[in-house]
Amino acid sequence: MSALPRSARTSAAARLPRAGQPRAALPNGWWGTAVFIATEATLFGTLIGTYYFLRFNSLHWPPPGISAPKPTLPLVLTGLLVATSAPVQFAVSAAGRGRLSAARVSLLVALVVQAGYLAMQLHLFSHDAHEFPPSGSSYASIYFTLLGAHHLHVLIGLLLSGWVLLRTATGLTPYRMTGLRVTAFYWHFINVLALVVVGTQLSASV
Amino acid sequence: MATTVTEPGLERVGRLERIWSEPRGALGWLITTDHKRIGLLYFFTTLAFFGAGGIEALLMRTQLAQPNEKLLSPETYDQLMTMHGVTMIFLFVIPMTTGAFGNYLLPLMIGARDMAFPRLNALSYWLFLASGLFMYASVFMHTAPNAGWFDYVPLALKQYDPGRNIDYYALGLIFNGVASTAAALNFIVTIFKLRAPGMSLNRMPLFCFAMLAVSLSLIFALPSLTIDLVYLELQRNVGFHFFDVAHGGSPFLWQHLFWLFGHPEVYIIILPAFGIATSIIPTFSRRHMIAFPLVALAELLVAFIGFGVWAHHMFATGLPTITLVFFAAASMMVVIPSTIQVFAWTVTVALGRPEFRAPLLFIGGFIVFFVLGGLSGIMFAAIPFDQATTDTYFVVAHFHFIIFGAAVFPILGGMYYWFPKVTGRLYHEGLAKLSFWLAFVGTALTFFPMHILGLLGMTRRVYTYPASLGWGSYNLSETIGAFILTAGLLLIFANLLYSRFRGPASGPDPFFGGTLEWATSSPPPPYNFPVIPTVRSAYPNWDRDERRRDAERLARGELVLDEGHETPATTVRDAFPDEILEMPGESFWPPVLALMTAMLFVMLLAHHYAVAGIFAALALATLGAWHAQEPQAE
Repeated sequence: MSALPRSARTSAAARLPRAGQPRAALPNGWWGTAVFIATEATLFGTLIGTYYFLRFNSLHWPPPGISAPKPTLPLVLTGLLVATSAPVQFAVSAAGRGRLSAARVSLLVALVVQAGYLAMQLHLFSHDAHEFPPSGSSYASIYFTLLGAHHLHVLIGLLLSGWVLLRTATGLTPYRMTGLRVTAFYWHFINVLALVVVGTQLSASV
Repeated sequence: MATTVTEPGLERVGRLERIWSEPRGALGWLITTDHKRIGLLYFFTTLAFFGAGGIEALLMRTQLAQPNEKLLSPETYDQLMTMHGVTMIFLFVIPMTTGAFGNYLLPLMIGARDMAFPRLNALSYWLFLASGLFMYASVFMHTAPNAGWFDYVPLALKQYDPGRNIDYYALGLIFNGVASTAAALNFIVTIFKLRAPGMSLNRMPLFCFAMLAVSLSLIFALPSLTIDLVYLELQRNVGFHFFDVAHGGSPFLWQHLFWLFGHPEVYIIILPAFGIATSIIPTFSRRHMIAFPLVALAELLVAFIGFGVWAHHMFATGLPTITLVFFAAASMMVVIPSTIQVFAWTVTVALGRPEFRAPLLFIGGFIVFFVLGGLSGIMFAAIPFDQATTDTYFVVAHFHFIIFGAAVFPILGGMYYWFPKVTGRLYHEGLAKLSFWLAFVGTALTFFPMHILGLLGMTRRVYTYPASLGWGSYNLSETIGAFILTAGLLLIFANLLYSRFRGPASGPDPFFGGTLEWATSSPPPPYNFPVIPTVRSAYPNWDRDERRRDAERLARGELVLDEGHETPATTVRDAFPDEILEMPGESFWPPVLALMTAMLFVMLLAHHYAVAGIFAALALATLGAWHAQEPQAE
């Protein structure tokens, strides 16, 4: 369409491209995901705002009796999670070029790493909850709420990836391609969030 | 629309009828994805909630009519007061304007055949219905929310409110927020992607700009309410600490997060009213809105500024002076886009050839109440005045002028205005004008004396007052006003109900409206337009030659899209034709998913967390089944 002069475009509207052909604008599914991510980002913004609100209302942060979080392990785990953005994005471009099995393998590799990340994090989560339960202080409350919210999002990402893997077993349709694209988009979002969340939590140690 | 009906044209229309028809009867309504049917479902549901909220208001007004009245106990009064607020805001105005008006009209106005995500649209209705029923279940259990609509802690904490009342509120509003988020997301994508070829953003109807502003506000405002409610539930039922000072929490956290949502919420309530006003005014003034781009920007600007003024609800809480001054200044800024719009509305009427039929009368009432409520709003931006009148009936008077007088009057006017479009029949003009005057006088009489009572010192939320204070006559006149208002409202619905069956046929365009919904037949067919309209101005239905060309296209089969369940998508800014979308048809999954989600919330309320987990898994499985139906699979 873009080869047509501007004035001719509306009058030639009868010759619209059919579904699945290359389009100028991003697909509706992408737009829907972008708006969804915007509202989710606001949600995390609110959680992080709460963290600092409570922190600046407190004399000691973390309160006496709770040790500040140790930075090494969370940073390594987060680095590992963020690195999965690469294979996820590779899956999108491979699928776009028609190399479906490469795309699926790449997505599967990312999925395994992400699942490992979540398992390790849940282990740490329950360990921490024994050390300083959320019912003990506002610090522990927001610590576990923020972390738990992010873990929940990793779980949603895993379910999305698993679903895309399952659906693409019988081939790729435009609908599934959009599904793969928005799943990748969502993973990039979760990974950026992971950096922000871990940064917020570790700010108590600085 | 088809002025030149030819043999091939008829054939194409017949094909469209077959492709877009849905099952008849109750089943058809249950699994529908037609935005018009969903809009009607929203309409009747929100109307029922409006009735409930209205009865609550009348009960309270009757209780307050005289000093020392014994009709309601203080406990019942608290519950009625809270449910009235929650109902009118979350179960009436927002779903009525976005769900009913937005859903029905927006795709028609932009020349689309449906919303961008038809099944998601159905889901948001069923979620909304379930969330409303969830909250109203509490009324029948006699444990309705009772801490006021803004539910301040510490009153709302377990120690002071040990029943399930607040849990209904918190879980119900989280649930309701999911429905609103889904609806807002759908509107944004529909507005950006499904406009008819040629409808670049600057040619989009102002109603759609208002809906865009509302949807963006919902997307960015609802998360802070949701998070606030999650904190409240975690503190009430799991023992977390967010709001109690003893464990390092703060009651301010509730207030900040609530009003960070709550003030944008006010504009979410009022913006669709602006949108309806900008639809009705040009039609009955026979001219374009003046300052069209400024009005569009003002609508978006109101929504934007709405995010920076929340602490003006907290002027009396002891925040630092510098904070108060900042928020007072930001609140003053709202005057600018509001005034731009007031002048644009009134000057458009003044420069046109206005015909004061009932819809325009309601817009007149809207402007009067908006200016009055706006003026008392500016007074609150003066911090000392706010501190003197906070928590008095002066505040109640202000916000009822705004969210009843200004937000609901256009809804009522809009009901008359679009009634012929939805039913194909005309309402009774004389009765409609009478109903306006009853509603106008009733509203003024109900809410104006509240200003005086507030200045006399009557506080909000009191269930009765002693005779010695001399408030009786003002309160009595308010109660009389409330019943006059009720008579006006009942007359509106009686008029519409009667006209639905006995009104004269209206034809497609009885008022010569400028936007595209008037370009199709009344009621519109399931596919909305036999030919996708092409647009070259902001009032495309006044471009008669362009509409004639649409009719001619039918014979040639251009832009008819009669080969499948299709609608065109266009580019985001300029609306160049981009692709043809295969739209999903009717589906069982949205109501099933809503049911699973409702059960999830019921189980959370009952503290059966394991069962809740099972329903969460079932909801996910439903989502899987939903997405296994691929609309673009050939």
